[in-house]
Amino acid sequence: MNGTRTSSRRAFALGLGALFATACERPSRPRGEVAFWFSYGGNNRKVLLELVERFHREQTAVRVVPTFQGDYFEGLVKLRTGLFVGAPPTLTHVVGEVVPYLAEAGVLERLDGVGADVTADLEPSLAQRGTFEGGEREPLVALPFNRSTPIAFFNRPLFEQLGLVPPTTWEELRDTARRGASTTALQRWGFECPIDWWFWMALVGQAGGRLVEGGRLTLGGEAGVRALELWQTMVHDDRTMRPPPGRDFNAWEASNGDFLAGRAAMIWTSTAFVKYLEDNASFAVGAAPLPGDVRRAVPTGGTFFVMPKGLPAHERDAGLAFLRWMMQPEQASEWARRTGYMPVSMRGRQALEDEGFFRAHPNFRVAVEQLAVADTWPWSPELFRVQREAVQPRLEAAVAERRSARAVLAEALAAVEAR
Amino acid sequence: MVSVAEKLRGEGRHVKRRLSAIALDLALLAVALLWVGPYLWMVATSFKSLDELVRAPAWPIPSALRWDAYREVFAAIPVWRYTLNTVVMATLIGVVQAALALPAGYALAKLEFSGKRTAFLAVMACLIIPPQVTFVPVFTMLGPLGLVNTMAALVAPFAVSAMGTFLVRQALLAVPNEIIEAARLDGAGELTIVFRILAPLVRPTLAAMFLFSFVYHYSDYFWPLMMTTDDHVRTLPLAVALLREQGTGVRWHIVMAGNVVLSVPVLLVFVLAQRRILRAVTARVLS
Amino acid sequence: MSLKPARAYHPYAMLAPTLAVLVLFFLVPLGIAFRNSFFAWDLLTEPEPVGLGNYRALWASGELVAIASRTLGYSVVVVVASLALGLGLALALNREGRLYAFVRGAVFSAYVVSWVAVALLWLWLLDPQAGLVARVTKGLGFTPVDWLGNPSVVLFTLAGVTVWKITGYAMVIFLAGLQDVPRSVLEAAALDGAGPWQRFRRIVWPLLRPTATFVGTTGLILSFQAFDIVRVMTQGGPVRSSTIFVYAIYEQVFVNMRVGRASALTVVFFLLLVGLTGAQWFLWRKSSEGRVAT
Repeated sequence: MNGTRTSSRRAFALGLGALFATACERPSRPRGEVAFWFSYGGNNRKVLLELVERFHREQTAVRVVPTFQGDYFEGLVKLRTGLFVGAPPTLTHVVGEVVPYLAEAGVLERLDGVGADVTADLEPSLAQRGTFEGGEREPLVALPFNRSTPIAFFNRPLFEQLGLVPPTTWEELRDTARRGASTTALQRWGFECPIDWWFWMALVGQAGGRLVEGGRLTLGGEAGVRALELWQTMVHDDRTMRPPPGRDFNAWEASNGDFLAGRAAMIWTSTAFVKYLEDNASFAVGAAPLPGDVRRAVPTGGTFFVMPKGLPAHERDAGLAFLRWMMQPEQASEWARRTGYMPVSMRGRQALEDEGFFRAHPNFRVAVEQLAVADTWPWSPELFRVQREAVQPRLEAAVAERRSARAVLAEALAAVEAR
Repeated sequence: MVSVAEKLRGEGRHVKRRLSAIALDLALLAVALLWVGPYLWMVATSFKSLDELVRAPAWPIPSALRWDAYREVFAAIPVWRYTLNTVVMATLIGVVQAALALPAGYALAKLEFSGKRTAFLAVMACLIIPPQVTFVPVFTMLGPLGLVNTMAALVAPFAVSAMGTFLVRQALLAVPNEIIEAARLDGAGELTIVFRILAPLVRPTLAAMFLFSFVYHYSDYFWPLMMTTDDHVRTLPLAVALLREQGTGVRWHIVMAGNVVLSVPVLLVFVLAQRRILRAVTARVLS
Repeated sequence: MSLKPARAYHPYAMLAPTLAVLVLFFLVPLGIAFRNSFFAWDLLTEPEPVGLGNYRALWASGELVAIASRTLGYSVVVVVASLALGLGLALALNREGRLYAFVRGAVFSAYVVSWVAVALLWLWLLDPQAGLVARVTKGLGFTPVDWLGNPSVVLFTLAGVTVWKITGYAMVIFLAGLQDVPRSVLEAAALDGAGPWQRFRRIVWPLLRPTATFVGTTGLILSFQAFDIVRVMTQGGPVRSSTIFVYAIYEQVFVNMRVGRASALTVVFFLLLVGLTGAQWFLWRKSSEGRVAT
């Protein structure tokens, strides 16, 4: 018994040793390989992987290896830790609000190498130059990937039945929500919208405010307060609006789910979900632009491609080759067609128009047309922190606990100043 | 002589005892249902179709067994490779932990030496430190060595189980010193004593330790997420996260199917080996 | 009780691999965290020294106290409930029979499944509209509770799910402890007319105290480290009411990009938990010293 145990133990030890040896290989990136770190799952991931496959079919010099890195926050930390230990990816994508921060920290590579023809063809409001105030003055470090604006979705047959039309002003919004709500056997909310910075920014813009005024951070001032108070009124006074539970994308999930289940007559969410909602609803889904108050305004959202600085030249070129390809009209329109994000290439958008895609799928057109009233973001390294640390948690508290909107926003400003 | 009244009272008590025994059994069945029920529901949900899910999410029985969700899961993720990685990683960790806990536990239990107290406290203190705290420093340690994104990064930090060392020490405390003294007299070296003589004596503890460790590390999401940047050493729990798209999520049937795929191997092993495992654990885990 | 080592260096050699790993992967990171707590660092730019700034900020905003009290509250509920349930189930199931084996297996199976799976499962079950729990409650005529959306209830919900998962662990450890209770003594006591409660209080419980200490201490440590469940089910909300320690640390690193502040939280967390563990262990051992030879 002992003998066999010794020999089996020895074999085991050898096996372990072998495993450890293979486990400790130093991974090195071969020429022409692009490591692309991405942060979403589900359908978007599927489309991305298929696009990558197509890229591989069309040429053989560059091979892209896309790997999932968790959600946007986890992906950002992985980028930072990767940079810190000198093992960053070739490419990744980050939310717009964090681009100035990364750029100022000096960790992003310039992307002009994709070609002037490509950058000229980019939809201005979706590219760096049109997304950020003064974005054209900064070196080009970000190229648009999945870009979106918030739009309204409504339950078409329900609206017809109740004689409703999508609202175009805040007053109409409250009115529509009131008439769309129902407390009979099936509780139905008139309106649902995640209590999220993005949608609040939309309201602030509509109320005529800006985040930064005269070089100073004001969080929209009076407009910011009115925006928050609109939500508070609809949730607590009118009782027609449901703030969905959960934070960040969990709230968006809940809101989309309620809409699909017929528990919300109208929701605000990203145009990114057009295809998803259309495919999964048992009723006809309508999309409409957001209403206006003093003016019409929406923020842009989604992510940009970025490339870390300090990569070996061949890797940089391979990455640029892939980016160049992704910005082409064919790819931009394919991405838009299959997800609901907007086409980043003007020629791509034209192609979709020409082939009658927007005629056949009018919901996809809403965001594209709404781009005309898109607001810019300030090019501020603090933007991300203002959003995540100062404003977002306080929005939640203000709506849930019905705290004074003015006091809450003043607190947020103080928090930013205190650092 | 037992009177009629006494006999009736006796029978009455007997009936009461039987009734209360039955009531207890029913209560225990309800308890079992509370624990097994959610799984059954998880499995049922994974077989539903999407509109069935939206229409009647709480109904426990799917109208038909549809494998779409599973097809989607297997298409979306390299399930087999991830499962292999996970099993290899968890096994390696369990084995290494046992291999290290034995000599350490022996020293702490049986040998006299200065600094014993400090060593013991140091080991126990490490129980308290969770991975969310250590990952940035560890990452910066392993990164420059090129060890991030390797099996080593997933195993080495967990090579020691503070809990396991403690348990082995407890188990060894109960072993009579005469055995060790006799073995020494016979000329056995210390390592031989530890691994050939004492290890078999504390096998139940080692089995329990391996089980708890395997289960814990098999399901670990955070550490493999942070330490791996591509597929070749990734583990299964990360795959379930892939199935949830940020913002959508009504596709619960796919998420549940992912959950089932994630849980089934572990549950299967558990169900098949249940009696052995529980017996191993209940027999002298603690002395 | 201890033996002299065969060679003087033996004990150190035997402990060396263990201590090396622990120092490298636990104590050094803890030390680094301690040092980082005096800096402001975002992992991208150079760290800048801020002295006690991080601690001051955490204290002044009341965040530290809030996080600590939330975590403690959650922990107390989890430890007490899982201990009581685990003990009760162990006592009830400590017998032969297929039914009892089935129930034991069922309860323990929850411990075996991953936290992420459990959290997702209960997230779905507790959905205030579509979830099974809500449907059943509505069917019975009550208004469903918003388990995860109500700030005053959410920690209890999370504690409940945690208890659901770890009771099996407590039960199994208690079952092990029960094996050490000699049947003969129990039978003699029963013959002497002692009822089940008395037998428990006088004979079983004193013998189980060390086991209970063990379960209590490990339960405290496990519950203080709860993370996955918060991350999947509530992300620290609603309105931060479920932001407990480890999640708060995670949030500072991942969302706020403040590694220094996360490190400060880590240091406080470690000291607090060491203190609590030490206190709990000390108190329990003291009170059981008189009765049982450990």
